[in-house]
Amino acid sequence: MKLRVLSAAILVLTVAGVCISALQTTRSVRDGVFTEDQRKRGAELVAQRCAACHGADLNGGEEAPALYGANFMANWNGLTVGDLAERIRISMPPTDPDINNAQQRADMISVILSVNGYPSGTKDLESRTELLKQIKIEPRQ
Amino acid sequence: MSRKLYRSVPVLLIFVIAGIGYLTMGLSGQTGSAGYIPNVKNGDWIAVTGDNTGARYSPLSQITAENFNKLEVAWRFKTDNLGTKPEFKLEGTPLVIRGMMYATAGTRRDVVALRADTGELVWVHTEFEGQRAVNSPRQLSGRGLSYWTDGREERIIYVTTGYKMIELDAKTGNRIPAFGKDGYLDLKVGLVTGSGQQIDLESGEAGLHSAPLVLKDSIVVGVAFKEGMTVKTHNNTKGQARAFDVRTGKLLWAFNTIPQGREFGAETWENGTAAVNGNTGIWTQITADEELGLVYLPVETPSSDFYGGHRPGNNLFAESLVAVDAKTGQRKWHYQIVHHPVWDHDLSSAPLIADVTIDGRPRKIVALPTKQSYLFVFDRATGEPIWKIDESPVPQSDVPGEKTSPTQPIPSKPPAYARTFVKVPDDIIDFTAELRAQGMTNLERVKWANSPYVPYVVGNDRILGALNIGNTAGGTNWPGAAYDPELKMFFSQAGNSSLTLGTLRTPPEGFSDIRYVSGREGTEFRVSEGPGYGSAADYPEPPRGGAPAGPAAATGPRGGGRGAAPAAAPNAAPAGNPLQVDGLSLVKPPYGVVSAIDLAKGELKWIVPHGDTPDVVRNHPKVGPVLADYLKKNNLPSTGQGGSVGVVVTKTLVIAGDPAVTTTPDHPRGAMLRAYDKMTGKLVGAVFMPAPQSGNPMTYSVNGRQYIVVAISGGNYSGEYIAFRLPASELPPTAAGRP
Ligand code: HEC
Repeated sequence: MKLRVLSAAILVLTVAGVCISALQTTRSVRDGVFTEDQRKRGAELVAQRCAACHGADLNGGEEAPALYGANFMANWNGLTVGDLAERIRISMPPTDPDINNAQQRADMISVILSVNGYPSGTKDLESRTELLKQIKIEPRQ
Repeated sequence: MSRKLYRSVPVLLIFVIAGIGYLTMGLSGQTGSAGYIPNVKNGDWIAVTGDNTGARYSPLSQITAENFNKLEVAWRFKTDNLGTKPEFKLEGTPLVIRGMMYATAGTRRDVVALRADTGELVWVHTEFEGQRAVNSPRQLSGRGLSYWTDGREERIIYVTTGYKMIELDAKTGNRIPAFGKDGYLDLKVGLVTGSGQQIDLESGEAGLHSAPLVLKDSIVVGVAFKEGMTVKTHNNTKGQARAFDVRTGKLLWAFNTIPQGREFGAETWENGTAAVNGNTGIWTQITADEELGLVYLPVETPSSDFYGGHRPGNNLFAESLVAVDAKTGQRKWHYQIVHHPVWDHDLSSAPLIADVTIDGRPRKIVALPTKQSYLFVFDRATGEPIWKIDESPVPQSDVPGEKTSPTQPIPSKPPAYARTFVKVPDDIIDFTAELRAQGMTNLERVKWANSPYVPYVVGNDRILGALNIGNTAGGTNWPGAAYDPELKMFFSQAGNSSLTLGTLRTPPEGFSDIRYVSGREGTEFRVSEGPGYGSAADYPEPPRGGAPAGPAAATGPRGGGRGAAPAAAPNAAPAGNPLQVDGLSLVKPPYGVVSAIDLAKGELKWIVPHGDTPDVVRNHPKVGPVLADYLKKNNLPSTGQGGSVGVVVTKTLVIAGDPAVTTTPDHPRGAMLRAYDKMTGKLVGAVFMPAPQSGNPMTYSVNGRQYIVVAISGGNYSGEYIAFRLPASELPPTAAGRP
C-alpha cells in the first residue's frame, strides 16, 4: 500500500518533471524565434549602440569581439537567449549599460541571432528574461 | 580638495586585529611570525611570476598525475561588485604569503586580501580616480600586484588604472603614509613627449596592467600606452623604466627606452627622429638577477605599431631585451629582437632567469619567450647569444616611406615552439580537399611569404592585407611561459592560429600626423581605440539619443552612431574575410599547443595540442563527419584551441586551462584545467571549470594543503578567482590539513 502510494507519487513527479523540462526545452534559436520587423528595429539600435565597438556587421574590431562565429558560438552554445539578454543587461554597452530597456535588448538580440544564421519566424522575441531562458542556443544545422 | 579620493574598507578589520595572533599561527604553519621571509619553497607565491626569476615554478608536490582528477573547488571569489559593473576579463595572478592572498580585481582595479584557505574577504582597498582613470589606455583589473617585506613590515604595491603607484599595509589595506605623497606616487610625473615635454597629469597617455618588480628595497616599474592601430600622432608619450625607493618613493633612476639627446642608440633613430616619436613602453613583467644586480627589461613597439616611415633606422630599444644595472639603471647590454619594428611584436613575456649546464659549461642564462614563438637565449651577464642567432634576409616593404630592415635575427636553436609563420601550402586548412582548395583561393587576395616577417601592404579591394601569425596576439603573449629549475626545462602554451591581415591606409585629412594607419583604402575609415575602451568603472554616460559625430569622416567608438545598419548575414562567415574558410581558421590544427624545451640541449622535447576541439569544428557539417579520422591520421588527440594562456609548473606537472569553452560528449559546457606530465607532455588529468582561463594559474600551500588558483571569465561568465584542492579524503594521513 505504502509502496504503491510512493510509486504513484514518483510517477506523478516524473510526469510533472517531464512536462516542466519539455516546456523549458521545447524552443530553440533554430525555430524562428524573432521577426524580420523586429530585426530591422534592432539593427537601428545596434548601429547606434553596439557597432562602434563590435563592428558594423557585428564582425568585431580592435575594441570588441565579433558577435557571431566560432568564438561567439563557443561562448553561448548550450546556454539560453535569456543568459545572453542578462549578459547584455549587466554589461553592454560598457560605456552605459543602463541605456537599453528589455524590449530594445530583445530587438538587438534578434540581430545577433540573425547574423549567426538563425531564421526569423512569425512571432517577436519576448522581452522577459524568464521566457527567454526557455529558448536554447544551439549550433545551426 | 575635500573629497576623499580613496577609501579602505576594513572588512572584518576588528576580526583581523583581534585575530592576528590566531591568523599568523593558524595560517603560517611553516615558520614563526617574526622575521619571516617568504619563499616559493615554503608554499608562498610572492610575485606574479612566482618569484623574480619569472619561473612560475613551485616545488609543491601534493597534487600529482594520480590525483589531479580528484581536485575539487575549495572556494570561489566573484569580483562582480568591485567597480560599477562586472568584469568579463579578469587577468590577475594572485600572490599568497603565509596563507593570505592578495589580488587585483574588478572594473575599478581594487585590491583584495583573502584568506587563502577559504577565500574569505579580509580587506578591500579602492581608489576613486575619476576622469584620470577613464582616460587610461589600460583599463580593468590588471594582471596583479607586488609584495615587499623587510621581515617585519609587509606591504602591497600596485599600479592603479590611472597610473599611480600605491603602497598598502598588507595587514589592513591602508596606504603607507610615508611612501610618496600620502601613500602614492604619481607615475605620470616625469613622463614626456617630444624632446622632454612633461605629459598632462590628468589626460596624459600612460597606464599599466603588469605588476612592478620589487627588488630588495627598490621598485622597478614600466609603462604602457594606447594601442597603435590608428594613432593621432607618432609623437606620443615615451617609454621609461624607473626605480623608486620602496620606503620613501624617491626616484632612484630612469632608463629611456627611446634614447634622449646623445644617449646610446640615438643614432638608430635617423634624422633626429627620436625627438618626434613615442611609445616603446615596457608593459609586461620585468624580471631580475639579484646576485648579478641586473634587471631585464622587455621593451615593446614604437609608434605606430605598423608604420615606421616617421622613424627611419633600427629604433633602439624598441622590441629589445635590455639588461640594466639594478642600482643605477645604466644599460649593461641589449639585444634587439626585431629591427625597425612594424609588426607589433612587443616583447610580451617575462624574461626567464635560469642556470643551466650547456655543452659541459655552467651558464647563467636569460631565456625570452616571444609572440613569434622563438625562444631567444642569452648569457645574462654579457648578452652573448648561447646559440648562434642569424641575421636572416627578410621580405621588404613596398609601402611608400617605409624602410624595413633587410635582415632580422632568427635563432638557430632551440627550434620554434609553435608556428612562426603560415607555411603555404602545408599549413593551410586540410580537413577536406575542398576546404584546402577554398583556403588556397582565399590566399589569392592576400600577400604571404614563408617568413615570420611579411611586410604590411597598403590594402585595397584586390590585396586585402599581409598574412602573419602571432604578431599581435602571440605565440606567447602577456601570460608568458615557465621554467623548471630542477629539470632545466622551459614550458609554454602558445597560440598556433592567431592570424593577422596587415593592411594600411591613409587617414582622413586632419586626423593624424602619421602617413599610414590601420585600414584599407576605399573603405570607411574607422578609429581603433583598442580593447578596454569605454570599460572604465566611471565611464561618463554619453548624452541620451546619440553622441555628436566624430572628427571628419572618421567613425569609431567616440563617434557614437555609425550609419550603416547591419544586414542579416545568412552565412556566419563574412564574405571577404580571407582568414576564414567556411567559418573555420585558414590554418590547419593544432590551433594552440603546449611545448617543452630542454634548455641544456636547446631541443624541443615535446609539443602537444592544448584544449578540446572547438564546438564549431566538431559541429561543422563538412568537418564533423571526417574529424575522428582526421585526428587519427595526424596523430592528434584534439585540434587544440587558439589563444595565449599561461602555465604553472609544479614538481611533476605543467598546468594550464583551456582558452575557450566547449560542450563535448565527455563534459558539459565548460573549459578544462589540464595537467600534463612534464617529461612527456602526456595529458594526465583535467578538471572542469565553468569558464575559460583568463588569468595565469598559480599554486600555494596552506596548512599542509596545496591549492591551485586561477582567474576565469569570458562569454557569459563574469570574473572569478577559483581555488582547487584535494578533498581531505585524498590526503595522506599525515597531512596537517586532515580533520
Ligand atoms: C565600448 C565598446 C563596446 C560597445 C559600445 C559594446 N560592446 Fe559588447 N563588448 C565589448 C567588449 C570589450 C567585449 C569583450 C569583453 C567583455 O566581455 O567585457 C564585449 C562583449 C560582448 C558580448 C559577449 C561576447 C561573447 O563572445 O560572449 C556581447 C553579447 C556583447 N558585447 C553585446 C553588445 C551589445 C548588444 C552592444 C550594444 C548594445 C554592445 N555589446 C556594445 C565592448 C563593447
